[in-house]
Amino acid sequence: MNAAVHADGLVKTFGQTKALDGLDLTVKTGEVHGFLGPNGAGKTTTIRILLGQMRADGGRISLLGGDPWHEATELHRRLTYVPGDVTLWPSLTGGEVIDLLGRVRGGLDPRRRAELLERFELDPRKKCRTYSKGNRQKVALVAAFASDVELLILDEPTAGLDPLMEAVFNECVLREKRDGRTVLLSSHILSEVETLCDRVSIIRAGRTVESGSLADLRHLTRTSVTAELIGPALGLAALPGVHDLTVDGARLRCQVDGDALTAVLAELARAGVRTLTTQPPTLEELFLRHYEGAAR
Amino acid sequence: MTGTWALIRLIVRRDRVLLPVWIAITALLPAGIASATADLYADQAARDSFATASASNPAQLAMRGPIYDASVGGLTAWTLGSSLALIGGLVSILLVIRHTRVEEETGRRELLSSGVIGRHAPLAGALAVVLAANLLLGLLSVPALVANGLPAGSSLLFGLSAATGGWVFAAVAAVTAQLTAASGTARELAIGVGGLLFALRALADAGGIGWLAWLSPFGWVRLTKPYAGDQWWVLGLVAVFVAVLAAAAFALSTRRDVAGGLVPARPGPAAGTLTGPFGLAARLHRDTLAGFAIGFGLMGALLGVAARGLDTQLDTPQFRELAATIGGADARISDVFFTFVMYVLSQLVAGAALVSALGARGEEAAGRAELLLSTPVGRLRWALSHLVFAIVSPVLLLGALGAAAGLAYDGDVARVTVATLAYLPAVWTVVGIATLMFGMLPRLAAALSWTMLGLFLAVDLLAEFKLATGIILDLSPFVHVPALLLGGASSSAALLGLTVMAVALATVGLAFLRRRDLMPSA
Repeated sequence: MNAAVHADGLVKTFGQTKALDGLDLTVKTGEVHGFLGPNGAGKTTTIRILLGQMRADGGRISLLGGDPWHEATELHRRLTYVPGDVTLWPSLTGGEVIDLLGRVRGGLDPRRRAELLERFELDPRKKCRTYSKGNRQKVALVAAFASDVELLILDEPTAGLDPLMEAVFNECVLREKRDGRTVLLSSHILSEVETLCDRVSIIRAGRTVESGSLADLRHLTRTSVTAELIGPALGLAALPGVHDLTVDGARLRCQVDGDALTAVLAELARAGVRTLTTQPPTLEELFLRHYEGAAR
Repeated sequence: MTGTWALIRLIVRRDRVLLPVWIAITALLPAGIASATADLYADQAARDSFATASASNPAQLAMRGPIYDASVGGLTAWTLGSSLALIGGLVSILLVIRHTRVEEETGRRELLSSGVIGRHAPLAGALAVVLAANLLLGLLSVPALVANGLPAGSSLLFGLSAATGGWVFAAVAAVTAQLTAASGTARELAIGVGGLLFALRALADAGGIGWLAWLSPFGWVRLTKPYAGDQWWVLGLVAVFVAVLAAAAFALSTRRDVAGGLVPARPGPAAGTLTGPFGLAARLHRDTLAGFAIGFGLMGALLGVAARGLDTQLDTPQFRELAATIGGADARISDVFFTFVMYVLSQLVAGAALVSALGARGEEAAGRAELLLSTPVGRLRWALSHLVFAIVSPVLLLGALGAAAGLAYDGDVARVTVATLAYLPAVWTVVGIATLMFGMLPRLAAALSWTMLGLFLAVDLLAEFKLATGIILDLSPFVHVPALLLGGASSSAALLGLTVMAVALATVGLAFLRRRDLMPSA
């Protein structure tokens, strides 16, 4: 079996609310898998089921070839986890927490630990109560990256990190991938997922709505362009890869496929540009488009 | 100061149960003691002989100070003066820290301060509520005292003296809350200052250095001398002291960052030596446990010293009769005293054990268990790492209490220690119930466990006034512990039964824990 994680039709209800409603997820061994969805979509619930901290009400699940509920302790030797909201013991120092988490997992590589502390610019002598959210996250990340495991489960791990530290994080994940480890990366930041992941699963309201390689989902990565022009850009509507074009006087808005950007910018330059804003689509826009597509 | 009123409403809303309960209980206490004193020492001769005996007992002098007047009012003020300042002081410290430093530590203050809340509003709001609550409980105690036939003016002074005891420590906590970033340290500092000031007053009265008492708030609350000359102006001294401390707290708060302290946090070790859940639990429970052990040890020593003078001090016909009905005709009065006091203190020990027993739930609620349980540490091992401290804690605390009491009383450590350790199975039963709740109803575990302990206390109170008998009384595990000092049958059956029940409750709780979802509070 070459799937590190295989979930099939997971269902989990809390009272009246259905947190998971038939969720499917397959993470192949050795890949970095992006787990995308808006807040409240069920990412954390899925991860808690994977960690044996919650039991699914329905569906089947296997983790590293075992049952995450019944064989939790054995399976946990082979994985490491960074929660989305890291809370630590206020009276312990960061270094003490890293070593505690490392030791219960069977020890960690002291050289890698020192290297990671330096790269993440984390002072391990500070008490955890004095750390900011980002620094608490770094403690959990150092403990995770310094341990020798097959699978890393990371739940929105960059939420509190600044851009510099995000770059360090990205390098660390790519290094894990080079070493043949499997990473499940939950996120709601599309650009992060695009940089790191081989395949992604997109979930919404407890259900998987898209799953596949990034190339498969290329249609999802359109750039949104807003421009104020000096003259009319008449050729734009005819260009391939331009969608949802609206013109309001001198203001223009459209969605552009990645490979059509060069042609679009050339056309805009010809008309003369006063202001220009481009931004990757937000996840919500993607979902909206996905559901519009399904309705048609 | 903008937003102070909004914060006051928030504080009152958050403590809508705690505040009324605290105020009601402390407001009712004085009238209860006054009426009990009038019953127990019916005539002036009995009160005079009691006062003479107390004046020669160093433990009583240390705990309560001198008796200024041997009237019912004077004895009530003597019995309660220090105690009310202690209770009011402790609650005030906890409340002020809870609504200032804890708010900053958890980041909630940051959320509020970004709204239209002035820089001084959080401290002003916390102080306003706590000072008002103390004033209210002082004033509320007056009508019932007057109804007991005590003079109105002196009763008002007594009520205000009780209120100012709480005021002083609210102001002390307001200062310590500015000093360090850790709420625990701020709390310990304030309680430590309180302990020192209490010791100062104790030294003054027991050591015959009267003027020293003027340096301690615990002295001031007695030196107003209600029912014994009414020195109103002493209240002014307290008010000035409170105003100066509060001003200092406000001044200090402008010299630091939100969530920062004036005293920078010291760095700790860069590498750790903890190897597993038991080492971690030991680190988490260690300091609290040591603090409790020292506290109960000191309490035991004080009780032992106090008991020495009791055989003469309490030698009234009324008390001899009470002792005889409890302990039989030839019971020593000091043994009756020990038995009674240990019965009450064992429930305090149960409270300390509950803190440890609910430790695992606290870790789960805060989300820290999630991180630890994602490692090869299994749930059972994790839960046991905390439970073991709930099992050991009462052994240590009851042992310290009994040994210190025995040593201070007549040097016979074993006799009193065995009698206090007899309460172990009852305390373990409380721990067992808390563990059952932790397994079955994790979100309600803390509330239900503390309520249960409160109900056991209420059952005992009802029993004392003969309002509860038979089956209701049997519900409290503490009722089933034999009074070994009074020659109670040292039947091991009741103790064994309680122990078996405790183990069964905990086992069922742990079984539920293994089956349920982890439930962090967020």
